[in-house]
Amino acid sequence: MPKRTRKPARGRPMSKNTPARKAAAVRQSTSSSAGPIPLRPFGKHSDVRISALGMGGHHLGDAKDEKTAIALVREAVDGGVTFFDNCWEYHRGKSEAWMGKGLKGVRDKIFLMTKVCTHGRDASLALQMLEQSLKRLQTDHLDLWQIHGVVFENDPELFIRPGGAAEAMHKAQQQGKVRFLGFTGHKDPRVHLSMLQTGFPFDAVQMPLNAFDATFHSFQAEVLPELNRRGIAALGMKPMSGHGEPIQDGAVTAEEALRYAMSLPVTTTITGMERPEILRQNLRVAQNFQPMPPGEMRALEERVKPVAADGHFELYKVSLKFDNPEARLAHNFPLDMESPEVKEIVYATQNTGRPYPEIPK
Amino acid sequence: MPDDAQEQFTRRDFVKGVAAFTATAVTHARIAMATGENARKQEGGAASPGGQIPQRPLGKTGARVSAIGVGGYHLGSTQDQQEASEIVARALDAGINFFDNAWDYHDGLSEERLGVALKGKRDKAFLMTKVCTHGRGKDIAMQMLEQSLRRLQTDHLDLWQIHEVIYYNDPDLIFRPGGAAEALLEAKKQGKVRFVGFTGHKDPSIHLRMLAQDFPFDTVQMPLNPFDATFRSFETQVMPQANRRGIAVLGMKSLGGSGEMITHGAITAPEGLRYAMSLPVATTISGMDSIEVLEQNLEVARGFQPMSDVEMQALRDRVKVFAADGRYELFKTTKKYDGDVGREQHHFPTSQKLPA
Repeated sequence: MPKRTRKPARGRPMSKNTPARKAAAVRQSTSSSAGPIPLRPFGKHSDVRISALGMGGHHLGDAKDEKTAIALVREAVDGGVTFFDNCWEYHRGKSEAWMGKGLKGVRDKIFLMTKVCTHGRDASLALQMLEQSLKRLQTDHLDLWQIHGVVFENDPELFIRPGGAAEAMHKAQQQGKVRFLGFTGHKDPRVHLSMLQTGFPFDAVQMPLNAFDATFHSFQAEVLPELNRRGIAALGMKPMSGHGEPIQDGAVTAEEALRYAMSLPVTTTITGMERPEILRQNLRVAQNFQPMPPGEMRALEERVKPVAADGHFELYKVSLKFDNPEARLAHNFPLDMESPEVKEIVYATQNTGRPYPEIPK
Repeated sequence: MPDDAQEQFTRRDFVKGVAAFTATAVTHARIAMATGENARKQEGGAASPGGQIPQRPLGKTGARVSAIGVGGYHLGSTQDQQEASEIVARALDAGINFFDNAWDYHDGLSEERLGVALKGKRDKAFLMTKVCTHGRGKDIAMQMLEQSLRRLQTDHLDLWQIHEVIYYNDPDLIFRPGGAAEALLEAKKQGKVRFVGFTGHKDPSIHLRMLAQDFPFDTVQMPLNPFDATFRSFETQVMPQANRRGIAVLGMKSLGGSGEMITHGAITAPEGLRYAMSLPVATTISGMDSIEVLEQNLEVARGFQPMSDVEMQALRDRVKVFAADGRYELFKTTKKYDGDVGREQHHFPTSQKLPA
């Protein structure tokens, strides 16, 4: 761990990017940390412990360049982050490739997760994606492999059908290529519950958890207790609603948002950190982490309830915005031409003349 | 986007014979016609091929409306006033009396065109428009009503509905003290509107919360098509309650709003329209931005014969696999059809920034 020099300030809003604040954040965080990030048991696999803060893979691909991304990963590892999130389709493979480079030499110190983008398609496609992910991440195994973006009402049925992705998960586990299995989604607690009802032995389930979710189409109320009861590791995401909109709007501060999410009964909270100052601010919260008292959590939920009620701070539940191209393609939904992945798809198709998706046979 | 936006685009394509069949759709077996059952459900004494467009009771209001209605949004998409006037005149001549509109369609142009087109014919029409408060109060609603009446060149509406009840907190905002529900009652009391209702395309649970208020709604408008029957279904969750209470059901989005269900070959346009019109609804509102499209709809509506139960069930079963993720009902699953006036009130990004 980096040497502690002084106690970091608390309660600094992270989104105010005034030059003075940015400088202060950098100055303060380069060498300060209050302690290790807490490690928590991975569901019923209590011998496996992972950091209460996890690094999100999508935002890593938003880093300025590869060098920055590698440095971010290394600084996160040094700061005590052991949970690393990724996905086959993030930035068309760039996120996995950059993370693979950043984790070189420290792979065995961390818990590595990536996701597979079948979205109802076959087990064979899933296994092809797994090989690609392993290659990009420069490893022979994943600690956790999850079904990505379970957001459509028929996804659970398509997952568990004969020949569906569930079979690929079993096979990959038998082959020793993945240790644990899970799924993720951001749309509707009922879809998560349908996945659980398939009876598949999931080790982990990922979902959006934040103060807005507490009162609107709530994963916290409808899914989290079930996971806790079954000993399935709960992985929180979108503590800042995806792109930090409520922080920019002043509805919550970044620190209270992150502290709130980390204070829920979850194994880890995954958040995107594409710039060093954001990483350092999150590390500070995690290294100084004290759970919010329940009264404080309830007060925050009540405070944001009026703006939570129509979902405008949780666009992943009420719009297509966070539904990635693979999901939309597989389900025949309109693509978002502004997303980096779609731009890559269009570019690749134009330049190779080959149809998308480009999966080696 | 308005309730019926783009629906017409697709129907026009259908008329022109443009159909891009997907590989999946080609595999669909044609449904077996359940002969002998078609005549079982008789329309109010007027149904025969090439005959009149059926008139149906508007719930328990005592009013009667044509089984198909002209969607207001597309009257604003016509080339000019002359085309809009011609559509309205021909529709009236053919026996369509239900005319839909909304305060925000084309920033008022849709209402203005309908107002001009109905000049001298106002008493032949059952005229509806909608108010776009989106959570704002009674006063704004009453101001919008005056604007709508002026544009429509009339002193009263037959039906005034709250538009786009699609956000999960809309029922709370509409029924709060000083909310838009009070405007509906006030306007009725003043004789400016005969009947009141609401509309929305998002989630049956929002409609049910509106109905749970025990407010004297005369009508409720909702998307009704073969895909809806098995996916977040207004047909199974909302329509029966409205029927039971004598609240007239107004169907919309019979072709899914943007019509991929037609262009992808999952159903044909006449199938979609026939299905919607065969449900226990007062009318099915359909956009018609050209004479060509009006004629296409008239072909289905004239002497309308409802589908048999067997035929309807076969259609539901046939499209169920495509209904299951909501790909053809984007109004339920995306932001595509959520208008900018409502987005602004609910602090959502504009349609340009968040198209879906």
